[in-house]
Amino acid sequence: MSLFHRCLLQPPRNPQPLPSGASSRPRFVAFTQYSPWSREFPFSWRTRALLQSAVYAIGIVLATNYVDSAWFPKGSGYGSSRDVKIAIEKLKLTFPDTEDGEERVSTHPDVLHEHGSSENSYHPASAHSVVVRAQSTEDVVTIVKIASECKIPVVVYSGATSLEGHFSGASPGSICIDMSEMDKILEIHEADSDLICQAGARWEDINDTLEEKGIPLFFPLDPGPGATIGGMIGTGCSGTNAVRYGTAKAEWFLNLTVVLPNGEVIKTRRRARKSSAGFDTTKLFIGAEGTLGIVTEATLRLAPVLPTRIAMAQFKNVEQAVNAVQDVLNSPYGGNIQCVELLDDDMIHAINVAGFTLKPLPVHDTLFFKIQGDQAAIKLAAKTIAKIVKAHGSTGKFEFSETEEEAKNLWSNRKYALTSTMGAHPGTRCWTTDVCVPVSKLPELVYGTKTDLAEAGLRSTIVGHVGDGNFHALILFSPDDPEEFEKVKEAVHRLVHRALSLDGTCTGEHGIGVGKKEYLAEELGEGTVELMRSIKKAVDPMGLMNPGKLYPDPPTK
Amino acid sequence: MQKRNPLFRAQSITGNWRFPKAQRRFTSTSSTHASPSISRTILLLTGASIASGFAGFAWATRQKAIVSLAKPEYGSPQDFQKAIVELKNSFPDKDTVSTDPEDVYAHGFSVNDYHPGFAHSVVVYPSSTEDVVKIVKIANKYHMPIVAYSGATSLEGQFRGHSAGGICVDMALMSEILAINEADSDMARIDLDHSMKYFVMFQTLKASLCFSPQIDPAPTATLGGMISNGCSGTNAVRYGTSKGEWFLNVTVVLPSGEVIKTRRRSRKSSAGFDTTKLFIGAEGTLGIITEVTIRLAPVLPTTVAVVHFPDVRKACEAVKDVMNKGVGIQCVEILDDLFMQAIKNFRPTGRDYPQKDTLFFKLQGYSEASLEESAKVVQEVAEKHGGFGFQLAKDDKDAEEIWDDRKSAHYAGLALIPGCRSLATDVCVPVSRLPDLIYETQQDLKQSGLVAPMVGHVGDGNFHAQLLVTNDADLEIAKQVSARLVHRAIAMDGTCTGEHGVGLGKKKYLVEELGEGTVELMKLVKRTLDPLGLFNPGKLYPDENDSK
Repeated sequence: MSLFHRCLLQPPRNPQPLPSGASSRPRFVAFTQYSPWSREFPFSWRTRALLQSAVYAIGIVLATNYVDSAWFPKGSGYGSSRDVKIAIEKLKLTFPDTEDGEERVSTHPDVLHEHGSSENSYHPASAHSVVVRAQSTEDVVTIVKIASECKIPVVVYSGATSLEGHFSGASPGSICIDMSEMDKILEIHEADSDLICQAGARWEDINDTLEEKGIPLFFPLDPGPGATIGGMIGTGCSGTNAVRYGTAKAEWFLNLTVVLPNGEVIKTRRRARKSSAGFDTTKLFIGAEGTLGIVTEATLRLAPVLPTRIAMAQFKNVEQAVNAVQDVLNSPYGGNIQCVELLDDDMIHAINVAGFTLKPLPVHDTLFFKIQGDQAAIKLAAKTIAKIVKAHGSTGKFEFSETEEEAKNLWSNRKYALTSTMGAHPGTRCWTTDVCVPVSKLPELVYGTKTDLAEAGLRSTIVGHVGDGNFHALILFSPDDPEEFEKVKEAVHRLVHRALSLDGTCTGEHGIGVGKKEYLAEELGEGTVELMRSIKKAVDPMGLMNPGKLYPDPPTK
Repeated sequence: MQKRNPLFRAQSITGNWRFPKAQRRFTSTSSTHASPSISRTILLLTGASIASGFAGFAWATRQKAIVSLAKPEYGSPQDFQKAIVELKNSFPDKDTVSTDPEDVYAHGFSVNDYHPGFAHSVVVYPSSTEDVVKIVKIANKYHMPIVAYSGATSLEGQFRGHSAGGICVDMALMSEILAINEADSDMARIDLDHSMKYFVMFQTLKASLCFSPQIDPAPTATLGGMISNGCSGTNAVRYGTSKGEWFLNVTVVLPSGEVIKTRRRSRKSSAGFDTTKLFIGAEGTLGIITEVTIRLAPVLPTTVAVVHFPDVRKACEAVKDVMNKGVGIQCVEILDDLFMQAIKNFRPTGRDYPQKDTLFFKLQGYSEASLEESAKVVQEVAEKHGGFGFQLAKDDKDAEEIWDDRKSAHYAGLALIPGCRSLATDVCVPVSRLPDLIYETQQDLKQSGLVAPMVGHVGDGNFHAQLLVTNDADLEIAKQVSARLVHRAIAMDGTCTGEHGVGLGKKKYLVEELGEGTVELMKLVKRTLDPLGLFNPGKLYPDENDSK
């Protein structure tokens, strides 16, 4: 009998009758005769061959499948810890220490930890594997190329003022690019009112430099102190000036130089103030939180510096205050209002207690107006504002600062809001919320939130960019009371849902990061989120750019 | 999965082949020939595996090639006929689907431009977002190009038909204002490439004391078209362009037929990159916009002033100075001496302007007093830079008349040469380079012998030369002048189009302006959203050979 016969096809069925014992076998054993390897296979040899080969085929497919998945694991798609080590060695070779002995590539645990987590956010964070300080666009290209060779995620770090865990490390290990050395202003074009700078430049430094040089222009986006241009672009930031000048998503960034995930460097547009040349790829990177590419340079448009003065009005409740703001903004002087800020009574109380400012204020819900324009316009605007707030039931005196000195003092109340909150409640930490709704819905939202926080027994202060419908509740909790922390988390969750139900957004200016991912699909709809995801996938197919941020994890089916 | 298919196939092939062999083995009584047979089996198995591996590889690669933008594959004329029948069945109202040759032709061509083009196969008039979804699904089924149409004011062939034919979606019926939220200064409206005419909207809004400021392109432009084009106009100097924050959100029918709303209604949001912006300036290549929420600004009192200058450079410097004073300027327009002459000829009863380069200012302020104050500043600055003949409108009527002189520029220019047509240019550069650009262009025009008055949104560095042509030879010269002008503007760090868009006419300049990488990124986004290449094909994205 050939080997072929024995292993592939059993000999044809024995023509002789079955042994007599066969009929006494239990029924289920009788089924074994249908096995194509069985001696008693009842059908033709063709059928036997067909069944056998089918079984072998399935076996081979399964085996191939297994080998395939074992050799090319789909898992994370990222490099192993060995790849991380290789990447670090490559980086160290490429970026040797500077002449004065400073490391450009650091794996010191403190450095890694500091670059991967923030004092200001309470999201789970992990440290990076290595931190590299980039000095030029070419450096960033080199780092991105090494990262994609070794399949290691890349996270950019600069001002580190973000509140939603934007720069925390990725779990399999990540390369952190520190942009702090790319902080140069490259060109200032006073005649064109624009300026070219590197992504690590701080907005305050830019405005200081312009002032020092006697150039009567400034960059009007004013997020938290210490924020850098790259971070402001990544977050899609705004600030108190947004009511007059709009946000980062407007036309303040004329063009960006971006290192794409494939290492290619693009400049999104030229320097003309406007262009209809297709959809604006600049806007793709504004708010993308470093998930689509790394911004290394930007051309900023500047606005003329105008004289400003401050006015203050106090109200019995938030609703009156917000309604007054709408009337002021829709009045002919709307264009003269550079900022309108709401501080609630708790906040004023905190400011009084903390004592960073010159004189205590009556504890009421308070509006601060920054009015811009020439002297005559400011005075007229102030008069109109005084009239409007009175009509809305303001209490006490309408304060208007005649001199620059007075204006500075009055504005310092707003400026020290965050520090005062912390100062008035020593030993506590604070969770900053950031919802934004259509302005007419703001009173409802603020009222609902205050009631909710009071019911939950939480301490909080509120500061709002009311002209835009955006406000921050600074919710306080004691760091060693996990129960209170849980309560804060729940209150924030309820606040976001309240804002979404009023046609608002979960984040007005702080971005999504890790903290707000879960709300994105509810806010934008699954279709819009899927569109964002598909763009991410197309631009960054390996998913190396700041993974785990912004895009909600796809719905599990 | 593709990797495994061929393997499976290899198995069944060898299996079939084995039957006759096996049969032979059975009939044989000897076993000595077994080993050559096995080695042959193995050889064949290996061979078949390798062959099918190659086949699978080729197949997978071919799949990718289909997705490339270069050669989208459209349905056959028979498919298109079936699509038209299906459209007619889906929209029983017989006016909704039109194949009337005149209608089809009128939707594919424009008297405003000179680009080659084709008529559409069919025009459909949807009246809701759901209708648009239905049309998109039919287009998908039969691989039929789809082009949105509304105001038809575009100058770069944005709504031309495709050579393969296609569906034109006319948004005329979707012109309803859905909600005005005065307290939030915003409103939602249906439009489609679009519908309600701007001046209608302007009046409606005036009643509610608001207007939508960035939006003042040519009269009768619609919101959908304005979004798709990334338009702007004379107000851009104060309010920015459509790429700013005037569109809070858009409802879009994607090429897949899915409907998305890009954002909610709050004035600002940091929730990721703003997908609204993806559709602004995309010229209908990424989706069809069916609804928009626009932000509004308060209406302010305005007045108009005119001042003349000995040359363009002095005028531009005056503008730069005025802008940095922070006075309320809503528009600032420059008209060259030729245009001033044209206006004089065209409106003989009007004012007597000196034939000099002239600035028209629209000032805005909160009161008569502040307007006068602004006017004083403007006059001082202008005179410092050599301006003369400053005139401020005495009252609203006067202001309207002066502004009408500016607005009539287009027709006044055309009247310079009876029976001529015009080719409009639209470059934009950083404002400090504008005098150089205008000066060099004037030299070039002189040499070319064309008559070409110029008007500029000088506050933004954008200007239009109206190249007047009467015959084909002139048109050829005008096209060359226009090409040189674009190259000059790009060399000055400018753009080939400040507000008219790319369409068919400007796509050859895009790589030069934006660089290969940026254009490739745009194409990547296009391929991702519209893998079949059905949405407004042939527009915006440079052809493969343009980029080389």
